[in-house]
Amino acid sequence: MSSSGESTTTASAQFLSNIIGQSVVVKLHNGMLYQGVLESIDGFMNIALNQATEHYETASNGLLHRYDGDVFVRGTQVLYISEA
Amino acid sequence: MDTPLDLLKLNLDEKVFVKLRGAREMTGVLQAFDSHCNIVLSNATETIYELVDGELKSSTKGSEMVFVRGDSVTLITTPSD
Repeated sequence: MSSSGESTTTASAQFLSNIIGQSVVVKLHNGMLYQGVLESIDGFMNIALNQATEHYETASNGLLHRYDGDVFVRGTQVLYISEA
Repeated sequence: MDTPLDLLKLNLDEKVFVKLRGAREMTGVLQAFDSHCNIVLSNATETIYELVDGELKSSTKGSEMVFVRGDSVTLITTPSD
C-alpha cells in the first residue's frame, strides 16, 4: 500500500519535471485555458509559462489573448496541466 | 532551478498585469509579493468587466497603493500594451 502510494507520488513528480520546456496546456477552475511553453513549476502547482495563449475551455475556441512576457499562474487556481 | 515565484521577482519594480477572480484585472507597479501571492501594487488601476443587458461594459478605478490578497489572484504577467 505504502509502496504503491510512493510510486504514484514519484510518477506524478516525474511527470511534472519531465514536461518542463515542453508545450503544455493549463486549465484553471474558472475555465480559462492557457497554452504555452512550461518554464517552471513548483510543489504548489504554481506555473510559469512562456509564449502563452489564452482560450476559454478548449484551445479550438478562439484566441482571447497572446501574452508576450512570462505568465505566472497561481497554483490554487489550476485544475490540470497536460502536454499540448 | 528557478521556481515560478523566483521568476516573479524579475517583475519587481516593473509594471505588471494581474488577473483576479470575478472578471477583474489590475495593473500597477509590483512593489512586493509573497508565497500566498499577496501583492502590493503602486499606481494601480483596477478594471472591472460586467455584462449590462448583454453588453460588455468595463469600468476602471485607480489607487495610489493597493494590497491585493493572494487568494483572488489567478495570473500575473507583464502588460502587453
